[in-house]
Amino acid sequence: MSEKITIGPFNPELEESVYFKLVVDENRVVEEVELINGFIHRGMESLATKKNFMQNLILTERVCSLCSNNHPFTYSLAVEKIAGVEVPLRGEALRVIADEVKRVASDLFNLSMLTHLAHRHDLMKETLEIREYMQDLKETIWGNRMDMSVNILTGTKYNLNDEKVTFILKTLNEAEPRIKALQKAYQNDAVFKDKTVGVGILPYEDALEIGVTGPVARGSGVNNDVRVKAPYSLYALRPSLQPKVTTYEEGDVYARAMVRFGDIIEAIRIIRDVVADLPEGDTYLEKRPHIPAGEAVVRTEAPRGELIYYLKTDGSQKPVRMRWKVPTYSNWEALKVMIKGDKVDNVTMILNSIDPCISCTER
Amino acid sequence: MKIDEFNNAIKSKITGAYELKEDSDSYGNSNAWVILENKRDVEVVAKAIKAYKGRCVVATAYKNEKENTHTVVYHFDINGTIVNMQLVTDNQSVHSITPILKSADWAEREMREMYDIEVLGHPCSDRLFLDYSLVKGVLNEYISLSKMQTGLSDTDVLWSKINKGAES
Repeated sequence: MSEKITIGPFNPELEESVYFKLVVDENRVVEEVELINGFIHRGMESLATKKNFMQNLILTERVCSLCSNNHPFTYSLAVEKIAGVEVPLRGEALRVIADEVKRVASDLFNLSMLTHLAHRHDLMKETLEIREYMQDLKETIWGNRMDMSVNILTGTKYNLNDEKVTFILKTLNEAEPRIKALQKAYQNDAVFKDKTVGVGILPYEDALEIGVTGPVARGSGVNNDVRVKAPYSLYALRPSLQPKVTTYEEGDVYARAMVRFGDIIEAIRIIRDVVADLPEGDTYLEKRPHIPAGEAVVRTEAPRGELIYYLKTDGSQKPVRMRWKVPTYSNWEALKVMIKGDKVDNVTMILNSIDPCISCTER
Repeated sequence: MKIDEFNNAIKSKITGAYELKEDSDSYGNSNAWVILENKRDVEVVAKAIKAYKGRCVVATAYKNEKENTHTVVYHFDINGTIVNMQLVTDNQSVHSITPILKSADWAEREMREMYDIEVLGHPCSDRLFLDYSLVKGVLNEYISLSKMQTGLSDTDVLWSKINKGAES
C-alpha cells in the first residue's frame, strides 16, 4: 500500500541547507545579513548518549567529512583523559600524521573553491590536481579517501611500515614544490587578487570579540592555534613539531587564503618530521580501558580551527553528556561583519573564505 | 595565565560561595573549574574573562536527576587555558553573558532551545537551529547556500533574487 509522505515546507534535497537574507542599498552594498539554519540538525549529541564508547568512535567520524579525522581524535582524547590512559608514543605519532594529511587536503579544497569563484579555473584545476596527492595517500595508507578510521581508544588501528613511509615521503616530495609554485601563482594572479584583496574584512577586534579560530582568526592577526596554545598529542611531547603559525593583519579573503597556504606547508613539514623519527612500539594498548565517572574538556586544531569536546561519564558504558563545538559555529557570526558594507558581487567569495561546514555546525 | 591570578581577579567581586579547582591532562594543559553557587555571579566571571581578552568557546547544559534543574557549564579560553564555569539552574533560567562576551551568543541560544533554559537578558530572541515559526514562502526571501556558493560573483543572479524579494 502506498503512502504519501509530506516533507517540508523546506526540502533540503542536495543543498547545504543554510539560507541567507541580504538587505542592500541602491549601490548594491549589503546593509544587513540574516541567516537561518537548522535544517540538517541531526541530534547527534543526543545520539551520542545512546551509543557506547566504542560506537561513538564511528558516530563522531561521521559528523563531517572534511575534518572527519579530528572528531574521533578529539573524542578519544576526552575518553582517554577520563580513563587516565597514556597513549603509546607511536600511536600519538600516527594520529598526528593522519591529522596533518587531512589538513592539507581540506585546505586545498577550500583554495580550489576560491579560485573557482574567481573564475580562475586553471588555478582551480591545478589546486585540485595537487589535492589528489593527499587523496591518493589517504586511499593507499588508510583505504579510504575521506573517513580514514584512524583512531581507536588508546591509540590508532593503522600502522606504517618502511614501504608506506617511503610512499608518504615520495608523495610529499612531489607535492611540495607544486604547492609552493601554486602559492606563488595565487600571489601573482591579478584576477584572484582583485577579487580577494580588501574583500570581506574581519578586523582584529571583531575577530577577538566574536571568538573565531583557525585560518579565519589568523587571517585577522589572532593566533589561537591549539597546537601552539594548548599543545596535545605529539605536538606537546615534541614541541619542535608545533607549527610556525602564519598570521596576516589584513583580515580579508586573500589573507585567509594565504594563511591556508602557510598551514599546508607547515603540515608537510610536520608529517616529514614525524615519519623521519617514528617511535617504535605499539600503536594502541591491548587492554581495553575502564572509563570511570568523570568529565573532560579537550581540544584539537582542525583544518578550520579549534574543535572542543566536553564529555561527562558516570561509570557506565555510555556518555551522560557529550558536547562539541566546531569552528564554523563562531565563524557564521563573523561572516555578518565581513559581508556587511561589502558589495553583493563579493558575497559568494566572502562566504567561501570561511570554509563553512554546515553538517559540523548543526550536528 | 595562572589559575591563582584568575582567582584573585574574581574573588573580591563574587557574591556567593564558589569552588575553584584545577585539573590537567597528560600533556600538561590546565583546566580551571569555577563552580558557582549564586547564578548572578556569572557576570563577574564573564567580565574577568573579558578583561583577560578571553572568549567563550561554547556552553554545555545537561539535565540533573533533581527535577527541573540543569547544570550549565560555560567553557572559556584565555590564551590557551580553558576556564570552565559551572552552575545549577533553579527556576530554569540563567543570566545571559552575551552582553559582556559576544562569543557566548550562539551557545546561549542553543541552550535555550535545546533545554528550555531561559537566558535572561540575551539580546536575541530568535531561534538558532529549531525554528517552529517558519512561514510559508519564506524560501522566496532566503537565498540558499548552494546559490551563494556556486560562482555568482560576476552575474546578476544574486542581485535579481534580491530585487525580486524587494518587489514582492
